[in-house]
Amino acid sequence: MDRALADFVEMLRYSDVPVSISESVDAAETVRLFGYQDRGLLKTALAQVMAKTIEEQETFERCFDEFFSYQINPDLAPEETLDEEGEETDENTDTSPEMTPANDDENSPNPASGGGEGGGGFSGEQSESGSAAPLLDMLERNDRTELTMAMTAAASAANLRNIVLMTQRGLFTRRIMEGMGLDEVNREISKRNKDGDAEGADRLSGRLELLFDAVRDMVERQLALTSSGKAKQFRQDILKNVRLSNVEHRDFKYMRQLVQRMAKRLTDMNSRVKKVKNRGHLDIRKTMRRNVAYDGILFETHWKQKHKDRPKVLAVCDVSGSVASVARFLLLFLYSLNEVLPKVRSFAFSGDLGEITGEFDRLGPEEAIPFAIEKYGGRSTDYGRSLEDFKELCLDEIDNRTTVIFLGDGRSNGADPRIDILKEIKLRAKRVIWLNPERKSIWGSGDSEMLRIAPYCSTAETCNSLNKLELILRDLLKSS
Amino acid sequence: MTFIDKDPANAIDLIKDGFEKAGYICDRHIATSIYLSQKLDKPILVEGPPGVGKTELAKAASEILAAPLIRLQCYEGLDESKALYEWKYGKQLLYTQILKEKLGDLLEDAVGIEQSMDKLHQFGDSFYSERFLEPRPLLQALKSEVKTVLLIDEIDKSDHEFEAYLLEILSDYQISVPEIGTIKAKTKPLVFLTSNNTREMSDALKRRCLHLYIPFPDASLERRIIQTRVPELEENLRNQLVSFVQQLRTQDLKKLPAVSETIDWARTLLLLHADKLEVDLVRNTLNMLLKFEEDIDNMHSEVPKFISVAQKEVR
Repeated sequence: MDRALADFVEMLRYSDVPVSISESVDAAETVRLFGYQDRGLLKTALAQVMAKTIEEQETFERCFDEFFSYQINPDLAPEETLDEEGEETDENTDTSPEMTPANDDENSPNPASGGGEGGGGFSGEQSESGSAAPLLDMLERNDRTELTMAMTAAASAANLRNIVLMTQRGLFTRRIMEGMGLDEVNREISKRNKDGDAEGADRLSGRLELLFDAVRDMVERQLALTSSGKAKQFRQDILKNVRLSNVEHRDFKYMRQLVQRMAKRLTDMNSRVKKVKNRGHLDIRKTMRRNVAYDGILFETHWKQKHKDRPKVLAVCDVSGSVASVARFLLLFLYSLNEVLPKVRSFAFSGDLGEITGEFDRLGPEEAIPFAIEKYGGRSTDYGRSLEDFKELCLDEIDNRTTVIFLGDGRSNGADPRIDILKEIKLRAKRVIWLNPERKSIWGSGDSEMLRIAPYCSTAETCNSLNKLELILRDLLKSS
Repeated sequence: MTFIDKDPANAIDLIKDGFEKAGYICDRHIATSIYLSQKLDKPILVEGPPGVGKTELAKAASEILAAPLIRLQCYEGLDESKALYEWKYGKQLLYTQILKEKLGDLLEDAVGIEQSMDKLHQFGDSFYSERFLEPRPLLQALKSEVKTVLLIDEIDKSDHEFEAYLLEILSDYQISVPEIGTIKAKTKPLVFLTSNNTREMSDALKRRCLHLYIPFPDASLERRIIQTRVPELEENLRNQLVSFVQQLRTQDLKKLPAVSETIDWARTLLLLHADKLEVDLVRNTLNMLLKFEEDIDNMHSEVPKFISVAQKEVR
């Protein structure tokens, strides 16, 4: 597989098109068949090999256009290689026009490596022969070919491929220049200045400046290539672990997508084990009837099929203050799971408690959550009253298949938390899960009633990031 | 079809022409995937809304390649005994009954259980040999001497377990039967899987297939499809009809009319000897295009507008 394709595969992976190894092997085969000449054809063909859903198809098309508008043709069309190199050599012609042909010679017979260069990828063969001569000599001789090679070598040594953020541009440029031997050149320049060789110093620093520009260009190209995908990945990784109460408003959109993707994964995992066939109790009547044709010998067995019970979930959320932001995501998560958790009922409280299931059905989670926070939030939390309301509303419906999830910090402002009701719920329900956004070490401090609450829950856990939330819900689905 | 050795662009054009001759108008996407599947030996997973000709594609391919079509219709509860293979239990029983008497002759000179056993073992597991194996569609496709086109229709209706059965066939063109061993394809069949996207296929399955999405055709493609399928229809009416259907697809409907519905409607209009679209005519035949009472009611008032646009476009 050539470098250009490998880069493209990497770009796709960062853009949420999961290209597996076997698929990239197929892609390489496709490229071998079609070549790079006919872009339209190649796009159609590669799309079928690499993108396997309609959404992926769209992303693929966007990536393909983006990538190959950058990429010079790795197969042939050296004229494009010239264009790309041309910009850099133009600057160079001022100082040494005689070097330009040599530069072209280096690039044209070696078109395969050109693929990487155009898009900011760096071919391995260049980096090997890279730092043969010290930077000073190269600048002195102004050997473009050697400089380019040294530049790519230094770039791969500095892991330029890992560049993610705009703000890293300066850092990487610096690193590459230092890798090439910037210090030495700087020393030489100041030495020449001291020695009175002003002309020599100017020439050297002029060339160094040009090199700086070239490196900066290269870094920016690489950034443009990987950033869109990588930066997103980066942000998502961070968002997964950030405390939910600290999520910025502008990140809500990404969080929603994240939650939905996590929920989808959970759904996929759990919808797979739907039926238990060929196991359990033998259905004698059916088996006998089926096997009459075989003289009553039991060839075909029939089993009493067991359908998996979907868990009934009651989610009770404190929507006051800091807990509200966690509640938002818990509810979003639960409702995104509606394929495997069709029976979710949700309640919100701070002072009084009310059911908000209807709002969710009507408005969808996006609007229902702010609505609930508006309607029930803002009052001082009273766990005792809320539990009384909850008991009145739906204690009768709690049975041994019901999981009750409480979300709250357990700070009842001094009011009696009515542990007795919680005990009653625990006795009836299959499980009571208490999620608390606070760390365990401060449970019980101040007006926190968590230490009294925890014994009456099957699980009481700290839950303040998406990752934690996912783990808890995974357990919930697994043991259902 | 001798497109295999040609260079890709030519080969794809050849495939397109071939399909056209078989009465299936396809675009470059579809032709490319046929070419790729031949070159990479990969099955094609065809997705798209109902009625855009996913199944037809497989039929047309079988016609062009002169390869018999083996079709497996998926449904919930489809299992390996219906899709892969089944033992002929009845035959096995019958044979044991018949051979009962022979058994005495065979063991005549054997002394003791030990010897009888040894003697029996010499005959091998003849009851679990290929002679008692009932090949179902998938096995048929593998055992066929000539190249076949295997159509696994509406794979999304089948269960997850069944998808897993398929994986071995799709990647290696072979089936493992525990009692016999592995049966490998004599000639690799061209495999089409179609899906209406009622559920997401597993990644493992998708990875083994090429993915082809067939959307609703655009106006020019649809005109050509009607031209091939209902050639008797006059050009003017054909253009109006396609324009009308294309407008319908932009509406918010429960079920959008697909190509098969357009073809049906074209045939209806032909039967009714219509020469242009008229409000009453369209209203009366709207049930050919729309399959929900609600949709028909909603579109009733829109009909004149659509017709006038269609007529303007055609002129």
